[in-house]
Amino acid sequence: MKLAVYWTGSCGGCDVSFLELGMGLLEVLSRVEIVFWPALVDAKRRDLERLPARSVDVTLVNGVIRTAENKEMVEILREKSKFLGAYGACAHLGGIPALANQVNGVTEIVFGPGFRPGAPLGEAAEDAPPELLPEALSLDEVVPVDFVVPGCPPPAGLIARFFEAAFAEAISPGRIFAGEKALCEECPRTREDRRLTRIVRPHEVQPDPEKCLLDQGIICLGPVTRAGCGAACPKGGMPCTGCLGPTPKAGDPALAMLSALASLVRAGEEGESAFPEENKILDSLVDPIGTLYKYSFAKYGRPLLKLARKRQEVRA
Amino acid sequence: MPEFEPRIVAFLCRWCAAAGADLAGTSRLQYPPNAIPIRVNCSGRVEPQWVVEALKAGADGVLIGGCHPGDCHYVVGNYKTRRRIYLLRRMLAEMGIEPERVRLEWISATEGARFAQVVSDFVAELKRLGPLHGNGGRG
Ligand code: SF4
Ligand code: SF4
Ligand code: FES
Repeated sequence: MKLAVYWTGSCGGCDVSFLELGMGLLEVLSRVEIVFWPALVDAKRRDLERLPARSVDVTLVNGVIRTAENKEMVEILREKSKFLGAYGACAHLGGIPALANQVNGVTEIVFGPGFRPGAPLGEAAEDAPPELLPEALSLDEVVPVDFVVPGCPPPAGLIARFFEAAFAEAISPGRIFAGEKALCEECPRTREDRRLTRIVRPHEVQPDPEKCLLDQGIICLGPVTRAGCGAACPKGGMPCTGCLGPTPKAGDPALAMLSALASLVRAGEEGESAFPEENKILDSLVDPIGTLYKYSFAKYGRPLLKLARKRQEVRA
Repeated sequence: MPEFEPRIVAFLCRWCAAAGADLAGTSRLQYPPNAIPIRVNCSGRVEPQWVVEALKAGADGVLIGGCHPGDCHYVVGNYKTRRRIYLLRRMLAEMGIEPERVRLEWISATEGARFAQVVSDFVAELKRLGPLHGNGGRG
Protein backbone atom coordinates (compact mmCIF):
# COMPACT_ATOMS: atom_id res chain seq x y z
CA MET A 1 0.00 0.00 0.00
CA LYS A 2 1.47 3.33 -1.06
CA LEU A 3 1.07 5.80 1.80
CA ALA A 4 1.57 9.55 2.05
CA VAL A 5 1.33 11.56 5.26
CA TYR A 6 1.41 15.33 5.23
CA TRP A 7 1.16 18.09 7.80
CA THR A 8 -0.34 21.49 7.17
CA GLY A 9 -0.95 23.88 10.11
CA SER A 10 -0.16 21.30 12.75
CA CYS A 11 1.60 20.95 16.09
CA GLY A 12 3.35 17.73 15.06
CA GLY A 13 1.45 15.62 17.54
CA CYS A 14 -0.43 13.79 14.81
CA ASP A 15 2.82 12.66 13.18
CA VAL A 16 4.07 11.40 16.53
CA SER A 17 0.77 9.65 17.30
CA PHE A 18 1.63 6.70 15.03
CA LEU A 19 4.14 5.65 17.70
CA GLU A 20 1.15 4.89 19.92
CA LEU A 21 0.68 1.76 17.86
CA GLY A 22 3.67 0.31 19.72
CA MET A 23 4.78 -2.99 18.25
CA GLY A 24 1.85 -2.72 15.84
CA LEU A 25 3.80 -0.01 14.06
CA LEU A 26 6.34 -2.59 12.84
CA GLU A 27 3.56 -4.53 11.17
CA VAL A 28 2.17 -1.36 9.57
CA LEU A 29 5.58 -0.27 8.31
CA SER A 30 6.21 -3.69 6.77
CA ARG A 31 3.03 -3.35 4.76
CA VAL A 32 3.27 0.22 3.48
CA GLU A 33 5.52 1.96 1.03
CA ILE A 34 6.00 5.54 2.18
CA VAL A 35 5.98 7.73 -0.89
CA PHE A 36 5.81 11.08 0.89
CA TRP A 37 5.99 11.95 4.61
CA PRO A 38 8.01 15.09 5.37
CA ALA A 39 8.21 14.36 9.11
CA LEU A 40 9.83 11.01 8.43
CA VAL A 41 11.59 10.91 5.08
CA ASP A 42 13.18 13.56 2.95
CA ALA A 43 11.04 14.40 -0.03
CA LYS A 44 10.28 17.75 -1.57
CA ARG A 45 7.26 19.19 -3.23
CA ARG A 46 8.78 18.56 -6.65
CA ASP A 47 9.07 14.84 -5.82
CA LEU A 48 5.39 14.80 -5.07
CA GLU A 49 4.57 16.72 -8.21
CA ARG A 50 6.42 14.12 -10.28
CA LEU A 51 4.16 11.27 -9.10
CA PRO A 52 1.45 10.16 -11.54
CA ALA A 53 -2.14 11.07 -10.72
CA ARG A 54 -3.89 8.64 -8.35
CA SER A 55 -0.70 6.71 -7.77
CA VAL A 56 -0.82 7.04 -3.96
CA ASP A 57 -3.24 4.55 -2.41
CA VAL A 58 -3.92 6.45 0.81
CA THR A 59 -2.95 9.94 1.97
CA LEU A 60 -3.41 11.18 5.52
CA VAL A 61 -3.42 14.94 6.05
CA ASN A 62 -3.08 16.39 9.52
CA GLY A 63 -3.33 20.06 10.48
CA VAL A 64 -5.53 23.02 9.74
CA ILE A 65 -5.47 24.77 6.35
CA ARG A 66 -3.95 28.11 7.26
CA THR A 67 -1.69 29.27 4.43
CA ALA A 68 -1.84 29.46 0.66
CA GLU A 69 0.88 26.80 0.60
CA ASN A 70 -1.21 24.42 2.76
CA LYS A 71 -3.97 24.74 0.23
CA GLU A 72 -1.74 24.13 -2.77
CA MET A 73 -0.12 21.10 -1.16
CA VAL A 74 -3.38 19.38 -0.32
CA GLU A 75 -4.67 20.09 -3.80
CA ILE A 76 -1.62 18.31 -5.24
CA LEU A 77 -2.04 15.46 -2.75
CA ARG A 78 -5.69 15.13 -3.67
CA GLU A 79 -4.79 14.73 -7.32
CA LYS A 80 -2.13 12.11 -6.57
CA SER A 81 -4.25 10.02 -4.19
CA LYS A 82 -6.92 7.39 -4.55
CA PHE A 83 -8.08 7.95 -0.96
CA LEU A 84 -7.43 11.08 1.05
CA GLY A 85 -8.35 11.32 4.71
CA ALA A 86 -8.39 13.96 7.42
CA TYR A 87 -6.19 12.76 10.26
CA GLY A 88 -6.71 14.46 13.60
CA ALA A 89 -9.04 17.16 14.86
CA CYS A 90 -7.46 20.07 12.94
CA ALA A 91 -7.90 18.55 9.49
CA HIS A 92 -11.29 17.16 10.56
CA LEU A 93 -12.88 20.23 12.19
CA GLY A 94 -10.30 23.01 12.21
CA GLY A 95 -8.96 22.13 15.64
CA ILE A 96 -7.59 24.52 18.22
CA PRO A 97 -5.75 26.74 15.68
CA ALA A 98 -9.11 27.59 14.10
CA LEU A 99 -10.16 29.43 17.27
CA ALA A 100 -8.03 32.22 15.77
CA ASN A 101 -10.95 32.79 13.41
CA GLN A 102 -12.61 34.68 16.24
CA VAL A 103 -10.31 37.59 15.54
CA ASN A 104 -10.18 39.31 12.18
CA GLY A 105 -6.72 40.21 10.83
CA VAL A 106 -4.83 38.56 13.65
CA THR A 107 -1.32 39.29 12.29
CA GLU A 108 -2.01 43.00 12.00
CA ILE A 109 -3.24 43.11 15.56
CA VAL A 110 -0.12 41.35 16.84
CA PHE A 111 2.53 42.86 14.56
CA GLY A 112 1.04 46.20 13.65
CA PRO A 113 -0.88 47.65 10.73
CA GLY A 114 0.35 46.81 7.25
CA PHE A 115 2.11 43.67 8.41
CA ARG A 116 2.28 40.89 5.85
CA PRO A 117 3.97 37.60 6.60
CA GLY A 118 6.98 37.22 4.37
CA ALA A 119 9.92 39.49 3.80
CA PRO A 120 10.77 42.17 6.35
CA LEU A 121 8.84 45.31 5.51
CA GLY A 122 10.16 46.95 2.37
CA GLU A 123 12.46 44.07 1.40
CA ALA A 124 12.04 41.24 -1.05
CA ALA A 125 12.92 37.76 0.07
CA GLU A 126 13.29 34.63 -1.95
CA ASP A 127 12.09 32.23 0.71
CA ALA A 128 9.29 34.34 2.05
CA PRO A 129 6.81 32.42 4.19
CA PRO A 130 3.52 31.84 2.41
CA GLU A 131 0.52 34.13 2.66
CA LEU A 132 -1.92 33.46 5.48
CA LEU A 133 -5.43 32.67 4.32
CA PRO A 134 -8.08 35.02 5.75
CA GLU A 135 -9.45 32.12 7.80
CA ALA A 136 -8.26 28.80 9.17
CA LEU A 137 -10.17 26.02 7.40
CA SER A 138 -10.90 22.35 7.87
CA LEU A 139 -9.55 20.10 5.12
CA ASP A 140 -12.95 19.38 3.58
CA GLU A 141 -13.44 23.09 2.86
CA VAL A 142 -10.53 22.86 0.43
CA VAL A 143 -10.60 19.38 -1.14
CA PRO A 144 -13.01 16.43 -1.06
CA VAL A 145 -12.23 14.20 1.92
CA ASP A 146 -12.90 10.45 1.72
CA PHE A 147 -12.63 9.52 5.40
CA VAL A 148 -11.64 10.82 8.84
CA VAL A 149 -9.39 9.45 11.55
CA PRO A 150 -10.42 11.85 14.33
CA GLY A 151 -8.80 12.85 17.61
CA CYS A 152 -6.27 15.25 19.09
CA PRO A 153 -4.26 13.27 18.30
CA PRO A 154 -6.07 10.13 17.10
CA PRO A 155 -5.92 7.43 19.78
CA ALA A 156 -4.09 4.16 19.06
CA GLY A 157 -7.24 2.04 18.83
CA LEU A 158 -8.70 4.21 16.09
CA ILE A 159 -5.42 4.40 14.17
CA ALA A 160 -5.29 0.59 14.24
CA ARG A 161 -8.90 0.39 13.08
CA PHE A 162 -8.06 2.65 10.18
CA PHE A 163 -5.01 0.61 9.04
CA GLU A 164 -7.02 -2.58 9.28
CA ALA A 165 -9.64 -1.17 6.93
CA ALA A 166 -7.01 0.31 4.62
CA PHE A 167 -5.12 -3.00 4.30
CA ALA A 168 -8.39 -4.82 3.64
CA GLU A 169 -9.19 -2.15 1.02
CA ALA A 170 -12.41 -1.56 2.88
CA ILE A 171 -12.47 2.19 3.47
CA SER A 172 -16.07 3.11 2.81
CA PRO A 173 -16.46 6.70 1.61
CA GLY A 174 -17.39 9.16 4.32
CA ARG A 175 -16.36 6.83 7.11
CA ILE A 176 -15.32 8.37 10.40
CA PHE A 177 -13.13 5.99 12.34
CA ALA A 178 -14.83 6.46 15.72
CA GLY A 179 -18.06 5.42 17.42
CA GLU A 180 -21.51 6.70 16.53
CA LYS A 181 -22.62 6.77 20.16
CA ALA A 182 -21.75 9.37 22.76
CA LEU A 183 -18.58 9.16 24.83
CA CYS A 184 -20.65 8.99 28.04
CA GLU A 185 -21.61 5.45 27.05
CA GLU A 186 -18.04 4.27 27.43
CA CYS A 187 -17.23 6.41 30.46
CA PRO A 188 -16.97 4.51 33.75
CA ARG A 189 -17.97 7.51 35.90
CA THR A 190 -21.36 7.30 37.61
CA ARG A 191 -24.10 9.74 36.77
CA GLU A 192 -26.58 10.75 39.44
CA ASP A 193 -27.52 14.37 39.80
CA ARG A 194 -27.89 15.60 36.27
CA ARG A 195 -28.03 19.12 37.56
CA LEU A 196 -25.46 21.86 37.62
CA THR A 197 -25.48 24.10 40.68
CA ARG A 198 -22.18 25.67 39.67
CA ILE A 199 -19.74 25.71 36.78
CA VAL A 200 -16.04 25.34 37.56
CA ARG A 201 -12.90 24.93 35.49
CA PRO A 202 -10.85 21.77 35.88
CA HIS A 203 -7.98 23.44 37.75
CA GLU A 204 -10.31 24.91 40.37
CA VAL A 205 -11.39 21.64 41.95
CA GLN A 206 -10.15 18.22 42.87
CA PRO A 207 -12.84 16.12 41.22
CA ASP A 208 -14.37 13.11 42.90
CA PRO A 209 -12.73 10.08 41.22
CA GLU A 210 -15.95 8.11 40.67
CA LYS A 211 -18.63 10.65 39.86
CA CYS A 212 -19.51 12.14 36.49
CA LEU A 213 -17.51 15.34 35.95
CA LEU A 214 -20.47 17.22 34.52
CA ASP A 215 -22.40 16.45 37.70
CA GLN A 216 -19.54 18.10 39.57
CA GLY A 217 -19.82 21.31 37.55
CA ILE A 218 -16.92 20.65 35.18
CA ILE A 219 -17.94 21.16 31.56
CA CYS A 220 -17.43 17.75 29.99
CA LEU A 221 -18.35 17.34 26.32
CA GLY A 222 -18.96 13.60 26.69
CA PRO A 223 -22.69 13.86 25.91
CA VAL A 224 -22.09 15.29 22.43
CA THR A 225 -18.75 13.69 21.48
CA ARG A 226 -18.17 10.42 19.65
CA ALA A 227 -17.05 7.42 21.63
CA GLY A 228 -13.85 5.71 20.54
CA CYS A 229 -11.08 6.75 22.91
CA GLY A 230 -12.34 4.71 25.87
CA ALA A 231 -13.15 8.01 27.65
CA ALA A 232 -9.44 8.60 28.12
CA CYS A 233 -9.76 12.09 29.58
CA PRO A 234 -12.58 11.51 32.12
CA LYS A 235 -10.75 8.38 33.26
CA GLY A 236 -7.74 10.58 33.97
CA GLY A 237 -9.77 13.17 35.86
CA MET A 238 -10.02 15.67 33.01
CA PRO A 239 -13.21 16.55 31.15
CA CYS A 240 -13.70 15.55 27.53
CA THR A 241 -13.10 18.59 25.37
CA GLY A 242 -14.56 17.01 22.25
CA CYS A 243 -11.53 16.03 20.16
CA LEU A 244 -13.24 13.14 18.35
CA GLY A 245 -15.90 15.48 17.05
CA PRO A 246 -19.66 15.43 17.49
CA THR A 247 -21.87 12.36 17.29
CA PRO A 248 -24.12 12.29 14.22
CA LYS A 249 -27.04 13.06 16.53
CA ALA A 250 -25.43 16.12 18.14
CA GLY A 251 -24.99 18.19 14.97
CA ASP A 252 -23.24 21.40 16.02
CA PRO A 253 -21.44 20.19 19.14
CA ALA A 254 -21.24 23.58 20.80
CA LEU A 255 -24.93 24.36 20.42
CA ALA A 256 -25.90 20.83 21.44
CA MET A 257 -23.76 21.10 24.56
CA LEU A 258 -25.00 24.62 25.29
CA SER A 259 -28.51 23.26 25.18
CA ALA A 260 -27.70 20.32 27.43
CA LEU A 261 -25.84 22.27 30.05
CA ALA A 262 -28.31 25.15 30.19
CA SER A 263 -31.09 22.67 30.82
CA LEU A 264 -29.11 21.17 33.72
CA VAL A 265 -28.41 24.46 35.50
CA ARG A 266 -30.28 24.84 38.79
CA ALA A 267 -30.25 27.50 41.48
CA GLY A 268 -32.66 25.87 43.91
CA GLU A 269 -36.31 25.43 43.00
CA GLU A 270 -36.97 26.44 39.39
CA GLY A 271 -39.09 29.53 38.91
CA GLU A 272 -38.97 33.24 38.31
CA SER A 273 -37.24 34.00 41.61
CA ALA A 274 -34.35 31.71 40.64
CA PHE A 275 -33.62 33.50 37.33
CA PRO A 276 -30.93 35.88 38.65
CA GLU A 277 -29.01 33.11 40.38
CA GLU A 278 -29.32 30.85 37.33
CA ASN A 279 -27.90 33.65 35.20
CA LYS A 280 -24.96 33.95 37.57
CA ILE A 281 -24.18 30.26 37.13
CA LEU A 282 -24.44 30.58 33.36
CA ASP A 283 -22.22 33.68 33.44
CA SER A 284 -19.53 31.68 35.20
CA LEU A 285 -18.96 29.62 32.07
CA VAL A 286 -15.66 31.13 30.98
CA ASP A 287 -15.04 31.51 27.23
CA PRO A 288 -18.07 29.70 25.81
CA ILE A 289 -16.64 29.62 22.27
CA GLY A 290 -13.24 28.28 23.31
CA THR A 291 -14.82 25.74 25.64
CA LEU A 292 -17.69 24.47 23.52
CA TYR A 293 -16.17 24.87 20.05
CA LYS A 294 -12.67 23.92 21.16
CA TYR A 295 -11.87 21.76 18.12
CA SER A 296 -14.86 22.42 15.88
CA PHE A 297 -14.93 26.16 15.34
CA ALA A 298 -13.79 26.11 11.70
CA LYS A 299 -16.41 23.62 10.67
CA TYR A 300 -19.39 24.57 12.83
CA GLY A 301 -18.82 28.16 13.97
CA ARG A 302 -17.84 29.47 10.57
CA PRO A 303 -21.26 30.07 8.97
CA LEU A 304 -22.35 32.28 11.86
CA LEU A 305 -19.03 34.02 12.00
CA LYS A 306 -19.26 34.78 8.29
CA LEU A 307 -22.63 36.41 8.90
CA ALA A 308 -21.17 38.49 11.68
CA ARG A 309 -18.25 39.58 9.46
CA LYS A 310 -20.51 40.61 6.61
CA ARG A 311 -22.57 42.54 9.07
CA GLN A 312 -19.51 44.35 10.40
CA GLU A 313 -18.44 45.21 6.85
CA VAL A 314 -21.87 46.64 6.10
CA ARG A 315 -21.70 48.74 9.25
CA ALA A 316 -18.14 49.94 8.65
CA MET B 1 -34.62 52.14 -2.06
CA PRO B 2 -37.59 50.45 -0.34
CA GLU B 3 -37.46 50.29 3.43
CA PHE B 4 -35.77 47.23 4.92
CA GLU B 5 -38.38 44.70 6.03
CA PRO B 6 -36.88 42.33 8.60
CA ARG B 7 -37.63 38.64 8.33
CA ILE B 8 -38.55 37.01 11.63
CA VAL B 9 -38.92 33.35 12.40
CA ALA B 10 -41.25 32.93 15.39
CA PHE B 11 -41.30 29.69 17.34
CA LEU B 12 -44.58 29.80 19.24
CA CYS B 13 -45.77 27.45 21.96
CA ARG B 14 -49.15 26.05 20.93
CA TRP B 15 -50.63 26.45 24.41
CA CYS B 16 -49.92 30.14 24.78
CA ALA B 17 -48.08 32.29 22.25
CA ALA B 18 -49.53 30.53 19.18
CA ALA B 19 -53.01 30.86 20.66
CA GLY B 20 -52.22 34.52 21.44
CA ALA B 21 -51.24 35.00 17.80
CA ASP B 22 -54.52 33.43 16.69
CA LEU B 23 -56.39 35.74 19.01
CA ALA B 24 -54.58 38.74 17.57
CA GLY B 25 -55.75 37.54 14.17
CA THR B 26 -59.38 36.88 15.05
CA SER B 27 -59.52 40.21 16.93
CA ARG B 28 -58.33 41.83 13.69
CA LEU B 29 -55.45 43.58 15.43
CA GLN B 30 -53.07 45.36 13.11
CA TYR B 31 -49.41 44.37 13.33
CA PRO B 32 -46.56 44.01 10.84
CA PRO B 33 -46.58 40.83 8.73
CA ASN B 34 -42.86 40.14 9.16
CA ALA B 35 -43.02 37.06 11.38
CA ILE B 36 -43.24 33.54 10.00
CA PRO B 37 -44.83 31.50 12.80
CA ILE B 38 -43.74 27.94 13.55
CA ARG B 39 -45.90 26.24 16.14
CA VAL B 40 -44.16 24.03 18.68
CA ASN B 41 -45.59 21.97 21.51
CA CYS B 42 -43.71 23.90 24.18
CA SER B 43 -41.06 26.62 24.13
CA GLY B 44 -38.85 24.03 25.83
CA ARG B 45 -38.78 22.16 22.54
CA VAL B 46 -36.88 24.95 20.77
CA GLU B 47 -33.28 23.92 20.30
CA PRO B 48 -30.55 26.56 20.05
CA GLN B 49 -29.57 24.86 16.79
CA TRP B 50 -32.97 25.76 15.31
CA VAL B 51 -32.49 29.39 16.26
CA VAL B 52 -29.06 29.49 14.65
CA GLU B 53 -30.35 27.58 11.63
CA ALA B 54 -33.03 30.24 11.15
CA LEU B 55 -30.45 33.02 11.33
CA LYS B 56 -28.18 31.22 8.88
CA ALA B 57 -31.06 30.55 6.51
CA GLY B 58 -32.00 34.18 6.16
CA ALA B 59 -33.85 35.39 9.24
CA ASP B 60 -32.87 38.78 10.66
CA GLY B 61 -34.33 37.86 14.03
CA VAL B 62 -35.85 34.93 15.89
CA LEU B 63 -38.74 35.21 18.33
CA ILE B 64 -39.54 32.50 20.83
CA GLY B 65 -42.92 32.77 22.48
CA GLY B 66 -43.58 30.70 25.59
CA CYS B 67 -45.99 30.47 28.49
CA HIS B 68 -45.58 32.80 31.44
CA PRO B 69 -43.49 31.46 34.35
CA GLY B 70 -45.60 28.96 36.25
CA ASP B 71 -47.91 28.31 33.28
CA CYS B 72 -45.87 25.92 31.10
CA HIS B 73 -47.92 22.81 30.39
CA TYR B 74 -44.81 20.75 30.89
CA VAL B 75 -44.02 22.65 34.09
CA VAL B 76 -40.40 23.63 33.37
CA GLY B 77 -40.07 23.81 29.56
CA ASN B 78 -40.06 27.59 29.52
CA TYR B 79 -37.42 27.76 32.30
CA LYS B 80 -35.16 25.48 30.33
CA THR B 81 -35.58 27.61 27.23
CA ARG B 82 -34.91 30.78 29.18
CA ARG B 83 -31.53 29.45 30.31
CA ARG B 84 -30.66 28.19 26.83
CA ILE B 85 -31.53 31.45 25.13
CA TYR B 86 -29.65 33.41 27.79
CA LEU B 87 -26.47 31.48 27.07
CA LEU B 88 -27.03 31.44 23.32
CA ARG B 89 -27.34 35.21 23.26
CA ARG B 90 -24.06 35.50 25.12
CA MET B 91 -22.36 33.26 22.56
CA LEU B 92 -23.87 35.17 19.62
CA ALA B 93 -22.58 38.42 21.11
CA GLU B 94 -19.09 36.95 21.36
CA MET B 95 -19.25 36.08 17.68
CA GLY B 96 -20.26 39.60 16.77
CA ILE B 97 -23.98 39.08 16.20
CA GLU B 98 -26.30 41.39 18.13
CA PRO B 99 -27.98 39.30 20.85
CA GLU B 100 -31.11 41.44 20.45
CA ARG B 101 -31.81 39.44 17.29
CA VAL B 102 -32.97 36.57 19.47
CA ARG B 103 -35.92 37.41 21.66
CA LEU B 104 -37.79 35.33 24.22
CA GLU B 105 -41.20 36.56 25.35
CA TRP B 106 -43.91 35.20 27.59
CA ILE B 107 -47.28 35.51 25.86
CA SER B 108 -50.44 33.83 27.14
CA ALA B 109 -53.36 32.59 25.06
CA THR B 110 -55.44 35.60 26.10
CA GLU B 111 -52.78 38.16 25.22
CA GLY B 112 -53.55 38.81 21.57
CA ALA B 113 -52.75 42.48 21.97
CA ARG B 114 -49.49 41.69 23.67
CA PHE B 115 -48.51 39.38 20.80
CA ALA B 116 -49.17 42.15 18.29
CA GLN B 117 -47.15 44.56 20.43
CA VAL B 118 -44.20 42.16 20.77
CA VAL B 119 -44.03 41.66 17.00
CA SER B 120 -44.30 45.41 16.34
CA ASP B 121 -41.54 46.15 18.85
CA PHE B 122 -39.31 43.44 17.48
CA VAL B 123 -39.75 44.66 13.90
CA ALA B 124 -38.87 48.18 15.02
CA GLU B 125 -35.79 46.93 16.84
CA LEU B 126 -34.61 44.88 13.87
CA LYS B 127 -35.10 47.85 11.57
CA ARG B 128 -32.86 49.80 13.87
CA LEU B 129 -30.25 47.03 13.87
CA GLY B 130 -30.41 46.60 10.09
CA PRO B 131 -30.33 43.43 8.01
CA LEU B 132 -28.27 40.47 9.13
CA HIS B 133 -27.82 39.31 5.56
CA GLY B 134 -26.24 41.58 3.00
CA ASN B 135 -28.71 44.24 1.94
CA GLY B 136 -31.78 42.65 3.50
CA GLY B 137 -33.28 41.47 0.22
CA ARG B 138 -33.56 44.97 -1.14
CA GLY B 139 -31.32 44.20 -4.12
S1 SF4 C 1 -17.62 12.48 33.00
FE1 SF4 C 1 -18.08 13.27 30.96
S2 SF4 C 1 -17.99 11.51 29.59
FE2 SF4 C 1 -18.16 10.72 31.70
S3 SF4 C 1 -20.37 10.45 32.04
FE3 SF4 C 1 -19.85 12.50 32.79
S4 SF4 C 1 -20.25 13.85 31.03
FE4 SF4 C 1 -20.13 11.76 30.22
S1 SF4 D 1 -12.12 12.07 26.24
FE1 SF4 D 1 -12.77 13.57 24.69
S2 SF4 D 1 -11.02 15.03 24.50
FE2 SF4 D 1 -10.28 13.17 25.58
S3 SF4 D 1 -9.41 11.88 23.96
FE3 SF4 D 1 -11.56 11.22 24.24
S4 SF4 D 1 -12.74 12.45 22.75
FE4 SF4 D 1 -10.73 13.42 22.95
S1 FES E 1 -46.18 24.65 27.24
FE1 FES E 1 -45.95 26.73 26.66
S2 FES E 1 -43.87 27.06 27.16
FE2 FES E 1 -44.13 25.00 27.79
